[in-house]
Amino acid sequence: MMSYSYLLTEYFPLVIFISIAGVIGLMLLVAPFVFSYRRPDTEKLSAYECGFDAFSDSRMKFDIRFYLVSILFIIFDLEVAFLFPWAAAFEDVGLFGFWSMILFLCILTVGFIYEWKKGALEWD
Amino acid sequence: MSKVTLSDLLPLLPEIILIIGAILILMYGVFSSREKARLNEIAMGFSLALILLIFSMTILSWSSGSIESELFDGAFVLDMFSSFVKCLILFSSFFCLLMSVDLFKSEELSNFEYPVLILFSTAGMMMVVSSGNFISLYMGMEIQSLSLYILASIQRESLRSTEAGLKYFVLGALASGMSLYGISLIYGFTGSTNFSAISRLASEFHAPDEASLGLVFGLIFLLAGLAFKISAAPFHMWTPDVYMGAPTPVTFLFATASKITSIAVLIRLTMSVFPVMILQWQQILIFLSLCSMILGSFSAIGQNNIKRLVAYSSIGHAGFILLGLSAGSQAGLIGVLVYMSIYTFMALGIFSCILAMRRGGEAVESINTLSGIAKHEPMFAFLFATLLFSLAGIPPLLGFFAKFYVLLAAVGSHLYGLALVAVLSSVVSAFYYLRIVKIMYFDEANQESFDPISSIIHVILLISGGISLFGFAFPRPFMYIVKTVVLSFL
Amino acid sequence: MISLIVFLPLIGALFAGFSGERFGKEAPEIVTSSLLTLTAFLSWIVFFKFAAGGEPFLIFIASWITSGTFQADWMLRIDILTVIMLVVVTTVSSLVHWYSIGYMHTDPHRSRFFSYLSFFTFAMLILVTSDNLLQMFFGWEGVGLASYLLIGFWYQRPRANAAAMKAFLVNRVGDFGFALGILGIFVLFGAVDFESIFNGSRSIGNFFEGKSQEILPFYDLLHIDFLFWKIDTVTLICLLLFMGAMGKSAQFFLHTWLPDAMEGPTPVSALIHAATMVTAGIFMVARLSPLFVLSPFAMTVITVIGATTAFFAATVALVQNDIKRVIAYSTCSQLGYMFAALGVGAFSVGVFHLFTHAFFKALLFLGAGSVIHAVSEEQDMNKMGGLCSYIPKTYLMMLIGTFALTGFPLTSGYFSKDAIIEATYAASFHSSAGFYAFLMTSMAALLTSFYSWRLIFLTFHGTSHISSEIKEHIHESPMIMLVPLFILAFASLFFGFIFKSFFIGKNYDHFFGNSVFPSSGTAVLDAMHHVPFWVIWTPTLAMISGFIFALLLYLKWPNFPSRLAEQNIFLYKFLLNKWYFDDLYHFFFVRPIIWLGNFFWKRGDTFLIDGFGPDAVAARTLDLSRIFSRFQTGYLYHYAFIMLIGLTFLMTFCIWRILG
Repeated sequence: MMSYSYLLTEYFPLVIFISIAGVIGLMLLVAPFVFSYRRPDTEKLSAYECGFDAFSDSRMKFDIRFYLVSILFIIFDLEVAFLFPWAAAFEDVGLFGFWSMILFLCILTVGFIYEWKKGALEWD
Repeated sequence: MSKVTLSDLLPLLPEIILIIGAILILMYGVFSSREKARLNEIAMGFSLALILLIFSMTILSWSSGSIESELFDGAFVLDMFSSFVKCLILFSSFFCLLMSVDLFKSEELSNFEYPVLILFSTAGMMMVVSSGNFISLYMGMEIQSLSLYILASIQRESLRSTEAGLKYFVLGALASGMSLYGISLIYGFTGSTNFSAISRLASEFHAPDEASLGLVFGLIFLLAGLAFKISAAPFHMWTPDVYMGAPTPVTFLFATASKITSIAVLIRLTMSVFPVMILQWQQILIFLSLCSMILGSFSAIGQNNIKRLVAYSSIGHAGFILLGLSAGSQAGLIGVLVYMSIYTFMALGIFSCILAMRRGGEAVESINTLSGIAKHEPMFAFLFATLLFSLAGIPPLLGFFAKFYVLLAAVGSHLYGLALVAVLSSVVSAFYYLRIVKIMYFDEANQESFDPISSIIHVILLISGGISLFGFAFPRPFMYIVKTVVLSFL
Repeated sequence: MISLIVFLPLIGALFAGFSGERFGKEAPEIVTSSLLTLTAFLSWIVFFKFAAGGEPFLIFIASWITSGTFQADWMLRIDILTVIMLVVVTTVSSLVHWYSIGYMHTDPHRSRFFSYLSFFTFAMLILVTSDNLLQMFFGWEGVGLASYLLIGFWYQRPRANAAAMKAFLVNRVGDFGFALGILGIFVLFGAVDFESIFNGSRSIGNFFEGKSQEILPFYDLLHIDFLFWKIDTVTLICLLLFMGAMGKSAQFFLHTWLPDAMEGPTPVSALIHAATMVTAGIFMVARLSPLFVLSPFAMTVITVIGATTAFFAATVALVQNDIKRVIAYSTCSQLGYMFAALGVGAFSVGVFHLFTHAFFKALLFLGAGSVIHAVSEEQDMNKMGGLCSYIPKTYLMMLIGTFALTGFPLTSGYFSKDAIIEATYAASFHSSAGFYAFLMTSMAALLTSFYSWRLIFLTFHGTSHISSEIKEHIHESPMIMLVPLFILAFASLFFGFIFKSFFIGKNYDHFFGNSVFPSSGTAVLDAMHHVPFWVIWTPTLAMISGFIFALLLYLKWPNFPSRLAEQNIFLYKFLLNKWYFDDLYHFFFVRPIIWLGNFFWKRGDTFLIDGFGPDAVAARTLDLSRIFSRFQTGYLYHYAFIMLIGLTFLMTFCIWRILG
C-alpha cells in the first residue's frame, strides 16, 4: 500500500503533463475545423509526399543520391549532438577535453574532405 | 580526471600511427592526380609497409618489456595477451594485403580505399583487443565492423559481393545492437563500463539473486553479439553467404583477424571480467560450441563451392575454439591461443589455394574444377592436400595439435560429452576435407590446368604448407610464448 | 651337393619366372630342364653313395624361428628315405621338364609353366629333406600352391579354375589336420624336429611296453580329457597327421580333387598328381613311422582307408571314359596300396611301391599325354581306337607302363605290388584289418588289370572312332617327348628287379638303417617271405584274369560292355558318378556353407552391420547435412530470425538453469 501511494505521488506530475498535452493537441486538431478559412483547389487537396506521387507503387525507383545526402546529413547531425554536451560541460572537461574534441572534429573533417573530393556532394 | 601528457600516449603509439598513416594514404589517394593503377600500387605499398611497421613495433615493445600499462582510466589496456593477439591480427592483415596484390592489379578490386579500409579495420581490431572499457570496446568493434561491411561489398559491380555486404551489414547491425543492449544491461546492473570495476562488482553478487540475473542477461546479449563475429552457430547464418560473396582476401580477414579479435574479447570477458560467473557463461559457450561443431561439420558435406565449404569449416573451427574456452581453465586458454595461431596459418594456406584457383583469368570456386589437378599442378595439389589433412586434424600435421590441446583442456575440465562430440564431428569433417584430396588426386582430369599461379601466392602457400607440415617438429619456442602469455594473463 | 640339389630348382624357377622370354623363347625351358637334369644326376650319385653304405647326416642352412624352448631351423635331413624321394622327384621331374618342352611347345606361357614346375620341384625337395615338421609343412604348402597354380595353368578355362580351387580347398581340410597334428606334437614333445620326435617316441614305446619306469615330462600328456572322453594323445596326433596325408595323397573321403586335377596340362598330372606330390602323404607317414607304430588304432585306420581307397578307386576307374581320369583313379588306387602297406607296418614295402609306381605311372601319364597330343587334345577313349598302328612307339611305351601297373611278372610293379599284397596277407594273422586289406588289394589287382587293359584296348585296338579330320593330323610325338618315355619305360621294367633287394630283400636292414621304423617292419617282412604259394600267385592270377576279361569284353564282344551297363544300370551309374562322392559333398558341405556364407554376407554383413553401421551412419550424416543446408535459405529475415531464436533459447536456458 505504501509503495502504491508512493507511485501515485511520484507520477502525478506526469499525469498532469499528459492531460495538458492531450488537451492542447486536441484543441489544435479541432480549431482549424472551427476557425479556418476554406477555399480548396486540386493542388491543395493532393497529398504532399516529398516530391513523389503519393498514390503509386511504393517500391518505385528513385535516385540513390537521396540516400547519400541523407546519410551525410545524419553524420554531421550527430556531430552536433556530440558538440552540445561537450559545450555544456566545457569548463569541466578542461584542456584534455578540448583537444579531444578538436581531434574528433579533425577526423570528421578528413571524412568531409574525402567525400567532397569523391564528388559525393555534387548532384551530377 | 587525471592529467594526460603526450608521453603517456606512448603505449597507444602503434594504433595512432596506424590510423594517421591510413588517413594520410586516404588523403593522398583523394588528392593525387596519378593514374589509377599507379595510385593503387602506391596505396598498397604504403599499407603493407605500415602494417609491417606496426607489427615490428608491437613485437619490439613486447620484447623490450615496455608492456603492462593502462591508459585513459583503464579504457586502453596493453598487456602480453593483447600484444600476442595483436601480432596474430597484424599477421593476418599483412597477408590479407599481400594476397590482394594480384587481385588489386586486375580490374576485380581496384579501389585505392581497399588497403585503407583494411588498415582501419585492423586499427579497430587492435582497439578492441586492448580495450578495458565497454565504450572503447564498442567503438573499436564498430570501427572494425564498418570497415569490414564495406570490404565485403567492395566489388560494387558484382551482385554476389554487394549482396554479401548488405547481408553482413544488416545482420552485423543486429548483432551489434545485441552487444550494445548487453553492455547497457551490464552497465545498468553494475553502474560501470570499466572492466576491472565490473569484475570487482560482479564478484560481490551472489547467484541467483536479482542483480546477477540481470548481469547474466547482459552477458548473454554481449556473447551473442560476439558469437556473431566469430560465426558460432546459431549466429553463423551470414557466414556462408558472406564468405562466398566477399573477395577472397577479405574472406581470409573474416576467417582470421575478425574472429581472433572477437575471441580475444570473449577471453577477456570470460576469464578476466566475469570469472566468477563461470557456471553461467560456460553453459552458453558449451551450447555455442556444440552447435558450431555439429553444424560446421555436417553442413559442409553438401557444399560444392569451396568458399562456402571453408565457411562451414570455419564455423566448425570456431566450435573447437569455443570448446577450449568453455573449459575455463589455464589449459583451455593455452589450447585456444594455440588453436587460433595454427588456424591462422592453415587458413592462410587454404585461402591462397582458393586464390590460386583461376582459369582463363576468372576465379573458379566449384570443387569439381579441382578434379585431377594433381596431374597438372603437383606442387599445388600436394600443398593443398597437406593443408586439408592439417585442417582435418591428422597427425603429425599442425592441425592435429590444435585440436589436441583444446580436447586435452576439455577433458581436463571434465567436459567428456563435449569432447566426444568434438572428436566425432572432427571425423565427419574429415570426410569433406578428404573428399577434396580425393577429387584432386583420383578423379579424372577433365579440364585444363589452372592459370599460372603468381609467385606471391606460391610463396604464401609454401610458407603455410611448410609450417603445417613441419611445424610439429619445433613446438618449443611457440609453446613457451603461449604459456608465458597465458600465465601473465591469468 | 645336397644344398645344390634342393636349391637348383629354385634358381631355375626364379630365372624362368622373372626373365620370361628376355633371353630367347627357349631359355626358360632349357635352363630349368638342364638344372633339373643336373639335380637328378646329383641325386643318383647321392643315392648310390647311400646304397654303398652312407650314414645319415644333417645340413644346417639357417635358423628360422627361436621362441622360448621352441626352435625350428632350416635344416636338411639326409637319410635313405630322403634319398629315395630325392631320386624319384628329381628323375621324374627332369624327365617331365624335357617332355614338356615338346608337349607345351605351342603354349604362349611356357616360361610361367616351367617356373611353376621348377618351383614345385623345389618345394617337394624341401618337403622331403626337411628336418622338422614346420619345414615339412612349408614344403607341403609349397607343393600345394604349385599344384594349385599348375592345375589352373590354363586359367582361361573355367573348369581348370574350378578344379584348381577344389584341389586347394580339399587339401585345406587335410592340411588343417596336419597343422593340428604338428601342434599336438609340439605339445607332446615340446619340439617339432624329427630327432626329438623319434627319441620321444622311443621312450613312450618303452613306457608302453613297461621297459622303462622313467618319468618323462610329457607322460601326463599322454591322455587328453575331452568331454568326459579319454583320448590317447598319440592316436589323436597320428590320426590328425594322417588326415593331412589323406588330403595330399587323395585317400578315401578326401580323394575327390585328384580326378578333377586332370584339368591341368598332362606333364603336370604325371609329375605332381602321379609321381611326386601325391606321395607326400606316404612319405610323411613313413617318415614318422616311429610315432605311428605307437598307435595301433591309427595304423588300423590307415590300413582300412588305404585298402578301401585301393578298391574304390579301381572300381570307379572301370567305367571312366576320359583317358587321364582312368589313370588318375588308378593313381588313387595305387596310393591306397601304399597306405595299406604302411598300415600293416611294412613301411619299406610302401616306400618301394612309391618308388616303382612313380616311374611307371609317370610313364603312363606321359604316354597318355603323347596319345592326347597325337589326336589333337582329344581325351575321350570312346573317340579313339586302333591307334597302335599310327603311334607305335607310344603304344609300346603305354604297353610297358600297363605291364608294370598290372604287375606282369618281373616288371617293377610285379615286385612292389605283390609285396604289398603279401604283406597284408602276412598281417592278416594278427589283425582283421590286415585281412580286409588283403581282400581289397587282391580284388583291386583284378580290377586294375581290367581297367588298364580296357584303356589299352579302347585306345589302341579295335575299330577306330576317330573323325577323319583328326585322323589326318595323327602323328608320333617328337623325340624330346619320346626319350623321357623310353627312360621311364626302362625304369618301369627293371627298377623293381634291381632295387628289390634293397627295399624288401636281404639288404633291407643295411639299406634302410633307422630311417623308417624297423622292428615291426621286419616282422612283417619276415612273415612276407613265408606266405603260402597261392598268396604269391593271387595277384598274378588276378592280373591275368583281368586281362582276359578286358580282352573278351572290349575286343571280342565290343557291344557287351554297353549291354552290361544297361542291365546293371544302377551299379553302372554308381560307378560312373564315382560313388556319388562329389554330389554328397556338394549336398552336405558345399551347399550349407554357401548358404551360410550367403546368410552372413547378405543378412549379417550387408543388412545388419552395414545397414545399421557404416551405411546408416553415412546416410544419416547426409540427411543431417541436407537439413542444415535447408536452413541456409539466403533470406536475410530467416537469418535474423534464427539468430533471435538462438538468443531466446540461450536466455530461456539460463533462466531455467538459474531459477530452476
